[in-house]
Amino acid sequence: MYYYHPKFWIFNAFCAEAKLIGNLVSMSTRERIKAIQKMPETMKKKREIRNSLSEYFHQLQLWHKTLKIIGGKFGTGVLSYFVFLKWLLTFNIFSFLINFSFIAIPQFVAAEPNNLSFTGLELITGAGYFQETILYYGFYTNATISKTENGASYNMQLAYIFTVGIYFVICLFSLVFSMTKSFRRNFINPQAYSGNASKLLCTWDFNITNEKAVKLKQKNLSTQIKEALFEVNQEVLNFSLKERVVHIVIHLASWVASLGTAVVACAGVYFLSINNLELFMKERKNDLESQAAMLVLPIVASLLNAFIPFFYSWLGLLEKFQNPRHQIYVTITRNIILKISIVGILCYYWLNIVAASESQCWETLVGQDIYRLVLVDFIFCLLGCFFGEFVRRIIGTTVYVSLGVPEFDIARNVLDLIYAQTLTWIGIFFSPLLPGIQMISFSVVFYVKKVSLMMNCQPPRKVWRAAQMTTFFIFLLFFPSLVGVLSVIAVTVWRLKPSKECGPFRGLSSMYAAISEWIETLKNYPGSEWVVWIYQNLFQSELFFFILSTLLLIITYLYWQIIEGRKTMVKLLRKQIINVSLTFSFLLLKFGFFVDCLISCCAVVICFSYDSVGERHLTEIKMTSLRDFPI
Amino acid sequence: MGNKQTIFTPDLSFYCRLFYRYRDLAPQLVPLDYTDKPDVTLPYELIGSMPELKDNPFRQRIAEVFSEDGEGNMTLDDFLDMFSVLSEMAPRDLKAYYAFKIYDFNNDDYICKSDLEKTVNKLTRNELTPEEVSLACDKVIDEADLDNDGKLSLEDFQHMIIRAPDFLSTFHIRI
Repeated sequence: MYYYHPKFWIFNAFCAEAKLIGNLVSMSTRERIKAIQKMPETMKKKREIRNSLSEYFHQLQLWHKTLKIIGGKFGTGVLSYFVFLKWLLTFNIFSFLINFSFIAIPQFVAAEPNNLSFTGLELITGAGYFQETILYYGFYTNATISKTENGASYNMQLAYIFTVGIYFVICLFSLVFSMTKSFRRNFINPQAYSGNASKLLCTWDFNITNEKAVKLKQKNLSTQIKEALFEVNQEVLNFSLKERVVHIVIHLASWVASLGTAVVACAGVYFLSINNLELFMKERKNDLESQAAMLVLPIVASLLNAFIPFFYSWLGLLEKFQNPRHQIYVTITRNIILKISIVGILCYYWLNIVAASESQCWETLVGQDIYRLVLVDFIFCLLGCFFGEFVRRIIGTTVYVSLGVPEFDIARNVLDLIYAQTLTWIGIFFSPLLPGIQMISFSVVFYVKKVSLMMNCQPPRKVWRAAQMTTFFIFLLFFPSLVGVLSVIAVTVWRLKPSKECGPFRGLSSMYAAISEWIETLKNYPGSEWVVWIYQNLFQSELFFFILSTLLLIITYLYWQIIEGRKTMVKLLRKQIINVSLTFSFLLLKFGFFVDCLISCCAVVICFSYDSVGERHLTEIKMTSLRDFPI
Repeated sequence: MGNKQTIFTPDLSFYCRLFYRYRDLAPQLVPLDYTDKPDVTLPYELIGSMPELKDNPFRQRIAEVFSEDGEGNMTLDDFLDMFSVLSEMAPRDLKAYYAFKIYDFNNDDYICKSDLEKTVNKLTRNELTPEEVSLACDKVIDEADLDNDGKLSLEDFQHMIIRAPDFLSTFHIRI
């Protein structure tokens, strides 16, 4: 009933098969295919072996056991943070691999010698020795690299643009795909959601396998049910006009306060960064003081990111929301606005001020800034973990016992991850090996957070709608994050003038000119006319994009109308179900009544006959309607 | 037990792993060689002592639903059934069907008020008073009962599942 039955003979041959699979794994793909083809077995068995091979590799899934333990103790909500972290890690691994293979390795062939000395300070500031390494854009050559005189050549300019471009296109498609898959799985009809019945029957988390965690979850559930019943019993309070106005004024004031804080933070970052640039341009001393001055901007940015959210949570408590879920959403929104504005102001500074400055190699400067930001963010993440969870637990269990053990703040941690990933994505163009650094950083963060979670935190008390929030966070990763990064890269490639003396695009009027020049050279090759045709008529013509956009808009509108139609249909059908069942019970009632009527309307006629002796005998019993007995 | 048609085919290595877990519960009872289809049934006590199940308040019901004899004593078939339905690969309808059976304590194909009361007590470890339990069950039935017969049928339950997107990830045991 469930799958295929050959499992019996499969288990029989399992020992031999395990050995076979072990042998097959160590071969290369071609040898493997040949070996499988040579085996004298049926097609079915071969298909199964091939399946099991792919699953063997799937088994090497990273951290499978760890995720199971975390889910078992803390539930699906906290687990979703770690799954998200693992997913972001794959983006970085992929980017590092392709950047390293296509950009860094060819550069080794044409590398210039590095004359600077290495002091340990470079690891933090990213300047100094690292400036003349493959870490930054400035080191890459603009030449066409070729090993032999007339051998195959490797055009560094094209490689740089295409590698980064193709990586972002793949990221875009994979994000859109995950987002739509998640949205489709987790879409709920908002008007029908009220939560009580589902809370009872659908939220027991079968993932939890730890005895203490199960007891805690049961206690939380009973508290929630009691609260829900209490709310139902209370009457809906009708606020007077005065109280409502006061509430609105408080809400407005908190929004003004939070937006004002964000604006002040951005202004601070902006002035600090301009100051930073002036400092850098004025003196190029390599002493400790100027090195330390370079770190002020990242430290201030990370401090703002770490402490302003506490202020926002405090504002949220002050506002006294009627629905506690609204408090969480509002706080998350304010944090998002803060982070977007900080990243936005930094991008503005990099693209408008640094790019137009008279420095020798502005792209490397930007790359160094981003390197420092990423590194300091990582350090602050570890520090935040230490103070926010470890020290807080010690305080909560010894000094202020009423505070209790801390909970793992899922929203805040996920937003930090998205911020770090956004910075990395911006930095890929200016520092191709940055994803490698972020890869290491995410792995360390995973282990540190896991250890801290096990040691210091308790499972969350409130229900965290993991599925919905994951969809929301993937959407956040897509919309402000990736789309913003793509716009920044687009502006860099199309509008900004690359520096004259460093990098793969030195001397060109814009980075995009590399592609236009390449298309020009392609015109001389007779076999590549189709590429030139595609470029001129599809990428460069505005009419094509206009037609494409109009088509897409029409299709979107059609799908939207289909969805609206289906919603109406669902409403109608639901009403019909209720009507049918009501009609059916009504009919049952009426039918019963009808049967009663029938019975009472019938007369039972018992016929007797008298025989010759005068004895009475029963002849027949029949039912007849009352109409035969007009009374 | 269970005649629901499935439309998914999980992978082979998953079943191999499950077979070894089943065998580990009682190595002297379960043979390695299943070609002659031996009739081996493990008692409920062994199944209920698995680390994935031993703290789950519904472990008894889960074992009863998936076992052939309805008492919780499982053959290999039942064991594999159970963990494939509870895996992440099973489709939503299949999970909803079995969740419904788990919560239906008296096996009458309806979740009536007494079933709900038992469920609530298991979920809250008997911490609520009987009045609170009764009130909560009334609310659930009011909300979810579409055809107004005072108890939840499979269709009502499935309709409720659509409104709970977390169900797929919470009705899941990793093994």
